[in-house]
Amino acid sequence: MLKLFKHNIQPVSELSSAQTAVEVNALNLWFGDKHVLKDITMRIPKNKVTALIGQSGCGKSTLINCFNRLNDLYDGCQYKGEVIIDGKNINSKKTNVSRLRAKVGMVFQRPNPFPMSIYENVCYGLKLQGVRERRNLDDAVESALKQAALWDEVKDRLFEPAMTLSGGQQQRLVIARALSLKPEVLLLDEPTSALDPLTTLFIEELMESLKKQCTIVIVTHNMQQAARVSDYTAFFHQGKLVEYADSDTLFTMPEKKQTEDYITGRYG
Amino acid sequence: MRQVALNTHISGTFNVELENLRNSVLTMGGEVEQQMVDTLYAIKHNHAAIAEKVVLNDLKINSMEIQIDEECLRIIAKRHPTASDLRLIMTISKAITDIERMGDEIERIAKLVTRNKLPSSDTIKSSMVKIGEQVIDMMRGTFDAFARQDESAALEVYRQDNQIDSEYKRLITYTTSEMEKITEDMQDWLDVLWALRSLERIGDRCKNVCEYVVYLTRGTDVRHTSLESIHQKIEDLT
Repeated sequence: MLKLFKHNIQPVSELSSAQTAVEVNALNLWFGDKHVLKDITMRIPKNKVTALIGQSGCGKSTLINCFNRLNDLYDGCQYKGEVIIDGKNINSKKTNVSRLRAKVGMVFQRPNPFPMSIYENVCYGLKLQGVRERRNLDDAVESALKQAALWDEVKDRLFEPAMTLSGGQQQRLVIARALSLKPEVLLLDEPTSALDPLTTLFIEELMESLKKQCTIVIVTHNMQQAARVSDYTAFFHQGKLVEYADSDTLFTMPEKKQTEDYITGRYG
Repeated sequence: MRQVALNTHISGTFNVELENLRNSVLTMGGEVEQQMVDTLYAIKHNHAAIAEKVVLNDLKINSMEIQIDEECLRIIAKRHPTASDLRLIMTISKAITDIERMGDEIERIAKLVTRNKLPSSDTIKSSMVKIGEQVIDMMRGTFDAFARQDESAALEVYRQDNQIDSEYKRLITYTTSEMEKITEDMQDWLDVLWALRSLERIGDRCKNVCEYVVYLTRGTDVRHTSLESIHQKIEDLT
């Protein structure tokens, strides 16, 4: 039969280990007495954009912080369960956390460039990793800025302070900084909530091109953004994963009433 | 089966917009149903004035279709509806096209009276009225199923179309045999055949709307499938 529209999205239940970038198994997390993540099990597919949605405080950001062990920085944080990246449980004591954070990059809600030049910002991580040769650094900076769709705007002022850039440019600079380390997974925690609608579209377009090279997990409060940019969407409520499906299904025919109520803006 | 609760959004304005949209479809459906009732009255009593009113009223139905479509578009653009809200709006947008076409078919039938082209045969005329009454039942059932988002009621209406189809076939055979006997006024006979066809088509349009009702409640597309397959699809989802 003639197929007019091709949306080749695999159901989450059929994702194999080889197609999975991050596998979460029975993950529980506590901040002190507060049980924040409750028995989360899910597979984040490789080279796709996965959106995490849910009310504030439902555990979305905490979950992505588990993917690069950022929660370790908080006192009183305890976790149980597995987060498997590249076949290894990153919650193991043997994990080299610095190496993990190079592999799993993170971009936050507010652009947070370092108080240094554009160039230094992008190659900061590489220098930490011991890359010293100027030519290698130049190439990496150019490549990362191009991937982040910022090169044309800043190529003539690479040594100016990063703070002179606009909010949207700063956010793309931060993305370039993460990309310079060639991450396997890029975590975006509400990356556009402080940006204007047009800049937001630029960042969304960027996600579409970046997913060819890495897996993207985005936390967003903007439902339309989740529907627009993501291949898969997971809905969380009070620390539990309520529903996880391909975004086409979740935004047209969610299985659970709780999901339906949330995405249609009804009383839960 | 999941019904779309229209009044439970956090945004009260959105609740009102969806409720108004749904009500406008029911108003449009009610108008078309009344057009059919009036047309049958005009046929029974050869009442040209009423038939004339039906023909004129069709403009009102056309305008309703355009307005509802515009409202759907406005809501999609402004509200970005998802899930059941999105299905409701898509259902409405498609259903009103079928309802408007029902209006066109009724107008065609009414013109038999305004042009004084009613069949001379009482048998054909009374059979026409009989099918017309079945069609009115179907229309009522359809709009009721939509209003209540009742998929069982929709499938019941769907089933009724078989009766109309077989009655239509019987009447076509009878009419063509009459045409063979009386070979003059061929154009008048053709108009009668077209009117019969229009009655049958209204039944089909009702079926379409019933399919949209199943889509609205189940999120599954049951167009172009048999009644058995529809039941199977629904069973698979349950």
